[in-house]
Amino acid sequence: MESILIALSDTMSSKAVLEYVLAMSWCPENIHITLLHVFRKPSGGEELMGQKYMNRQPARYMEILEQARDRFVEKGFPPDHITLKMVTEPYGTIAEGLIDQVRTINPSLVVIGRKRMSKAEEFVLGDASIKLVRALEGVAILVVKVV
Amino acid sequence: MAGRLITDTSDFMTIDVGDRVSVGGRVYRVTGNAREGRFGVEDPKMWVKWVVDEESGAKKVMKLVFFETFVTSLGGVSIRCFRDPVKEGQILDLVKGHPYFMQGVAYNDNRDNSVRVIDVVRGKNFYFYVDGLYMPHRDYFETVLPDILKDLLKAFEALRYLHVNGFRHGDVRNDHIIIDKETGNYTWIDFDYDYEATENPFGLDIFGLGNILIYAIGKGFHTLHMIKYDTKRYGSLYDTLEPWDLSLLDGNRMVNLRKIFPYIPRPLNDILLHFSKGSEVYYESADELIEDVTRALYSIF
Repeated sequence: MESILIALSDTMSSKAVLEYVLAMSWCPENIHITLLHVFRKPSGGEELMGQKYMNRQPARYMEILEQARDRFVEKGFPPDHITLKMVTEPYGTIAEGLIDQVRTINPSLVVIGRKRMSKAEEFVLGDASIKLVRALEGVAILVVKVV
Repeated sequence: MAGRLITDTSDFMTIDVGDRVSVGGRVYRVTGNAREGRFGVEDPKMWVKWVVDEESGAKKVMKLVFFETFVTSLGGVSIRCFRDPVKEGQILDLVKGHPYFMQGVAYNDNRDNSVRVIDVVRGKNFYFYVDGLYMPHRDYFETVLPDILKDLLKAFEALRYLHVNGFRHGDVRNDHIIIDKETGNYTWIDFDYDYEATENPFGLDIFGLGNILIYAIGKGFHTLHMIKYDTKRYGSLYDTLEPWDLSLLDGNRMVNLRKIFPYIPRPLNDILLHFSKGSEVYYESADELIEDVTRALYSIF
């Protein structure tokens, strides 16, 4: 059975990832999908974001993963072929978290979104998809760009 | 005249010359407020005090908690910057005894404010040092720059040490390196700034290193404004400039220095071009930059 890991968040690029993957032709019975969300450490400390806000985040992202799972089930994927994974222990960067999870889950395909960004944005903000492509070996990476 | 004895430093604006601050079991007498000397303007930094340790008589710098936060724009990208005194305290602890960082101890006052008591690093900052070298660029490039690059590499390596330990300096600038008068070490100071975490958590520190290199190799910064109006110095260079000759995040700063000084070897200039608008590949770690500068240094000079 092929294993696909799909990185999801609440961004436009994550929505594009979901729509793109759902529009592809699959043999659902031969595929296992992991829908993954990882957290990044907030630099200013949780108190700057507000504890209430921070406490709400895991439930918010779990809801996003559940909604994505429902879309795959509607598309004919057996529910037991879909795993939701949310890593609440934050990583230094999203890329770091995804790379770590890919090495644990060992999928044959990783799908990630990439938002349109200027060179300056890419330098300052960084881009997880580029880091994944650079760092991962032995796994296909599908980068879905938001146009 | 003995001033007030202060154990709560929250209201740093009212702490004045003559007051005595008690932290960490010692008492420090305030002798003045520090000033930020840049661009010919001296702004008092009321949260940074000059103090004297009453027991040892040693002059120190005392940094008090000031939660400044602001949004800066770099190349059109907004990023939230803020002061993080706790981070500076943690770094002071990490770099204890490290010859390329300012030394000091972080205490908490009786209101749990972080009070950092720092040894004074005596010497010129790198900005003023290079600015004070009166010689033609060619002479500077051939005789002075090789040693500067060797010293900068040690400072860059020190910054890498912060990164591998998960810390950002936060404000990498040419005036935050002091050339220690006694040891000659290029010593990093002021690590209390931080910026919003991104997917490139050390990116702005690395960009700062790039700016320091551009400043060092160019013997100062060369701006679009200077190149346009100082035709005696730059000739008709302005007419030949392309967008990719300029800095990725500061469109007024010349990065392609080989256009001004054609004797700068390509491998050295190529390092600078990684920070230009034309670059497609960026340094992601201090390691990568250090490796390229080391290779260029030893193959050129």
